[in-house]
Amino acid sequence: MDGPLKELSRLEKLASGAPAGKAKAPSIDQSLDALLESLRNAKERFQNGTGSQVTLLSLAKTVEDKKKEIDERQKEVYNALAKVGKALDKKFTNPLPSYEPLFQSPEAKLALERTIAMHFLRTGGFETAETFLGESNVTISPEHRVQFMDLHRIMTALRQGDIAPALEWAHCHREFLQKRNSSLEFHLHRFQYLRLVLSHPPDINAALAYSHAHLAPFFNRHRVEVQRLLTCVLYLPLSKLLTSPYADLADPSVHSDLQSMFATEYCADLGMSRQAPLRVIADIGGGGALARIEKGRKVMRERKSEWSQTDELPVSIEIPLPPENRYHSIFACPVSKEQSTEANPPMMLACGHVITKDSLTKLSKPGGRVKCPYCPAESTIQSALRVYF
Amino acid sequence: MSFNKLNTEGVMLFEQPFARVPYENYRKVFRTSQKNIEKELGAVQNVANDLAKKDYGSDADATVKAIDGMIARVEGLKRKLSDMQESAGTPTLNVMRERLQHLATVEDTESSTAPEFTRWADVRLDRWLVDWCLRNGKEKTARMIAAQNGIEKLVDIDLFSDIRRIEDALNRKSCTEALAWCSENKAALRKLKNTLEFDLRLQEYIELARARKTVEAIAYSKKHLLPWNDTHHHQIVQAAALLCYPPTTSCGPYKRLYDPGRWTTLIQSFRLAIYHLSTLPTEPLLHLAMYAGLASLKLPACYGHETRNVDCPTCNPDLGQLAKEVPFSHHVNSTIVCRLTGRIMDEDNMPMAFENGQVYSKEALEEMAARNDGFVTDPRDAEEHCSFSKLRKVFIS
Repeated sequence: MDGPLKELSRLEKLASGAPAGKAKAPSIDQSLDALLESLRNAKERFQNGTGSQVTLLSLAKTVEDKKKEIDERQKEVYNALAKVGKALDKKFTNPLPSYEPLFQSPEAKLALERTIAMHFLRTGGFETAETFLGESNVTISPEHRVQFMDLHRIMTALRQGDIAPALEWAHCHREFLQKRNSSLEFHLHRFQYLRLVLSHPPDINAALAYSHAHLAPFFNRHRVEVQRLLTCVLYLPLSKLLTSPYADLADPSVHSDLQSMFATEYCADLGMSRQAPLRVIADIGGGGALARIEKGRKVMRERKSEWSQTDELPVSIEIPLPPENRYHSIFACPVSKEQSTEANPPMMLACGHVITKDSLTKLSKPGGRVKCPYCPAESTIQSALRVYF
Repeated sequence: MSFNKLNTEGVMLFEQPFARVPYENYRKVFRTSQKNIEKELGAVQNVANDLAKKDYGSDADATVKAIDGMIARVEGLKRKLSDMQESAGTPTLNVMRERLQHLATVEDTESSTAPEFTRWADVRLDRWLVDWCLRNGKEKTARMIAAQNGIEKLVDIDLFSDIRRIEDALNRKSCTEALAWCSENKAALRKLKNTLEFDLRLQEYIELARARKTVEAIAYSKKHLLPWNDTHHHQIVQAAALLCYPPTTSCGPYKRLYDPGRWTTLIQSFRLAIYHLSTLPTEPLLHLAMYAGLASLKLPACYGHETRNVDCPTCNPDLGQLAKEVPFSHHVNSTIVCRLTGRIMDEDNMPMAFENGQVYSKEALEEMAARNDGFVTDPRDAEEHCSFSKLRKVFIS
């Protein structure tokens, strides 16, 4: 934004009436003041009887001059403004694409309103959510609201380093957490212990007492980690710890990871996603996906082919996604490059290599023998196993 | 991989209107100031020239009076200009500066996982939600989001409340406000060859015809429709004939002119015109982002009962409903995601298959084995129970 910002600074100077660096004409205020003074002078002359034709001629001249000055100044402002416009043009070369109106069906409208209401609740905007619900047609069950407020309460405490509400929740949901094989409770205690260890000055006795009471029960399941936690005390103070193999224990990510771990478990218990879904969608869409789709669309237009809005995106448009946004397995057959489907499922050969069923059929020789395209192994169609990802 | 590298170009694609709206607003302020200057100084100049031409000496009092008139005009202009600069000019420039600086922070960010960018993206979604709320008549929500996040300068609440005010008037079947807007933006509309003004005038005429005020209707047509004769001859002729048909007519073209549905169309045309002039996209920014975001994630698996994943946004029933309007994503390469851990499998975390063909990541299965004396059970089929060593390695190329 350097270009537009630079031009904007020039415009601001000119518009403020301050004597602008390169401006030739005086500010409009100055010109008008000078004009007023001439007018008042002339008036005075006529009041005391010294006014003459010459006075009026010179007044007309002054008016003309000042008008010119002002026009000049306006032109300078205008040019500065135009330069801001040009700088913006240069910065924004691609216009936003235009689409047919989206999400207009009654079902879609409702779904979108519900999504937005949930988003406000999910992100802790309870007041906004209430206002929004008042302005829209959706309703959110009171239980849902209570759940979100609870989540928000616990998260706020956790953010401030208070694990008590989170721990209480973990106790109430111990069975659920165990079934999920979650170590949330251990991590909450671990965080609390580290807070004691890393406090100023370190409260070693309290930390050890805490580990006795709360970490010991986890010794069997988290033996290595518990040992690390107890050993790290030897490397105190903090400055020394930071250069030790235990530096990771003092990292701020311990705190942020714990928060997202709690949110994940809490949401999983309610059957909700671990991230706020609208935020994920908006970030992907606004992070380059639309640009990529538009680029592909342009290529398609140049080739004079179109694709329907609801089909699959054409081959030319693959939107790269970071690992945390890959939610489903995709199997693309290395032989045919086609995506597997129910009708054309992935099949594992005896050697462990996977190709789709269609490719397998094409590769097979009479008698059902198949040579793996990726290794020397030979096997039979019958021995291929349908796999499920 | 550079997955986390911020795609600045892709981010900026959305931001053109954000930067342009205050720019256009300032142009408007400038135009108004220019008009005022021309009007007032022009008048002053005329008086001064008249005085200079006149023979002096005849009437000193009259001269003083004329000069007083000039002084009043110049003082008035000075006050008006400074008021305008204070109430509109400077605030608009401040908005422009704040927005450009807001965009500059993205340009300086390299990673999409940097905390600065996360915060920026928080604000961005709030901005989009405000935009969406304003376009969908949820002004209270919009104001609340803006106030609670302190982003008033980053959203266009005033512009949209203006739009709302004019649209409400059209809803009440009054064209006055919209016509006032048209005359304010006459030059820009003419440049775009936009005929909203004619459509509004025609509607006012139709309403006169509906009320059977024939005389007024003819006078109105002469005054307001005829100037458009060059481009709208056919419609003007048709409008004249309309007077012969009562509002209850069943005759096709005239029935259509009397159709109250024309008001809805007028609102649409007005909306398109003002969006266009303000360089706003016709679709809410949120919709555009969601279109692309949903299309990036949508897979057939999102709609299969067995293959749904609660963490996947498009598997969410509401978002899945919205995703029906977008294409499926396309992938050339395989990505195998473990259904137990949610992690992507690769050479370091091989996929392993049970006898029944169910595949999970080595990581997840090893952990299961560690807890069960080396035995693993398929979470989907309790019968499928075997020693870890019996699992088969799966090779995905």
